[in-house]
Amino acid sequence: MAAAVTSRLTAAVCRQFQRVVTVSSYTQPQCATQAFSKFHSCQRRQTYDSWWFRSSTNNRALHTSCVREGLEDFFDLPENWGEQTVKSGAPWTGKQLRVKSNEDLHKLWYVLLKEKNMLLTLEQEAKRQRLPMPSPERLKKVERSMKRLDTVVTEREDSLRLLQTGQERGRPGEWRRNVFGKTFWYRFKEHPIPWYLNSRYKRRRFFEPSHVAPYTRLSLEKYLRSKIRKEKREKRNQKMLAAVFPKKTALA
Amino acid sequence: MRLTALLSMAAKAAFPHDYRYGTNRPWTIAAQRLNPPGKKRRKVFVEPIANEDWHVVRGDTVEILSGKDKGKQGKVAQVIRPRNWVILEGLNTHYRYIGRSGDYRGTCIASEAPLLLKDVTLVDPTDRKPTDIEWRYTEEGERVRVSVRTGRIIPKPVYQRKDGIIPQQWKDGPKDTSPEDTLQKTYTPSLKTLEEEVMEKMNIQEDRRPRKSYWY
Repeated sequence: MAAAVTSRLTAAVCRQFQRVVTVSSYTQPQCATQAFSKFHSCQRRQTYDSWWFRSSTNNRALHTSCVREGLEDFFDLPENWGEQTVKSGAPWTGKQLRVKSNEDLHKLWYVLLKEKNMLLTLEQEAKRQRLPMPSPERLKKVERSMKRLDTVVTEREDSLRLLQTGQERGRPGEWRRNVFGKTFWYRFKEHPIPWYLNSRYKRRRFFEPSHVAPYTRLSLEKYLRSKIRKEKREKRNQKMLAAVFPKKTALA
Repeated sequence: MRLTALLSMAAKAAFPHDYRYGTNRPWTIAAQRLNPPGKKRRKVFVEPIANEDWHVVRGDTVEILSGKDKGKQGKVAQVIRPRNWVILEGLNTHYRYIGRSGDYRGTCIASEAPLLLKDVTLVDPTDRKPTDIEWRYTEEGERVRVSVRTGRIIPKPVYQRKDGIIPQQWKDGPKDTSPEDTLQKTYTPSLKTLEEEVMEKMNIQEDRRPRKSYWY
């Protein structure tokens, strides 16, 4: 039960940190001659690369032929090539995204991502050719849809986490005081070793030295004074505007 | 997350607090010529009208109360909110020459001058007389403009979109989702995160346990 809760916790903690970063495995090429000659040119680099490549885990063969099929997703539909304007519908709204299941959202994310890549390729190519990009509002629509999708997914995550653990934030943190006497929200980072073994972390000071203490009070006073001044300025402004534009009681 | 916030901040147009808004759109060259970055112009006092109290919308028919074209009714073409301005089509015009070059004096065109909100009133569509407006709530809970004199609701005007699309005549393209598919509800609330649900559907078995890490 505890293991399930913790696994759900770690899964819910942060989507970004959960995603496993895969390094594409790569060996020294046996068949492609161009890549081989590139390694020959720099001796030192070759030895470093060969050590990494010849390790027991990275055994996959390298495919170096240039791929022509499968790149059509980076380009628009052929009927839109050369058009000045391309018709596109409205972006997805948050309301429409909230009724979709997680699986649908997951698929939609990748559809939007591919469309965004296609539009960015188009934008770059238009810049290269020094021509205007056809219908640049498509890119804005896609970006807004993706942002709203992200919002919906974080909402669902937040609600689940609040329900199950009561934690308001996905990433742990706490209020700390830095060397300058300022209190700030310190966001925790993930480390492989505990803090008492981390020499660099131990050198960081999360307290204010005694000679800084008087300045904390002074800066607080300064902040309060500026706040009061701002409020007074606002009130004065409103009063002056009320005098310049008196409120009309008689109707036209 | 912070990087995207920074980028979005940079993308949003930032104006100084004493920027003087004119009839030209701020991104045009004419507006940049009138408001170069270091220039400070005499301050104009603008009556503070809350967003809820603003009752004139683009496409409304309004009547002018004071000025050269007093008593005439016209359609609102543009609303400039920071100055409480309303620009009507073809009314309150002055004449200027456009496209001057060399000896040619240019073509004379009529350009509309903006009117302040207090110099215009909305027109009741039924009897086409000027009237004062109040914001009231209907029985359904909708917030509508009601004319004080007659008590009739003034509907929001239908104005054509800038990109020329008429929603009723829209035909979906190959990459557009149909309205039925968009509104179809597929969400069932459950106690699973998105990752767990997707892993279940894709039959991904994750047997690896995360290595013990320390958060501080």
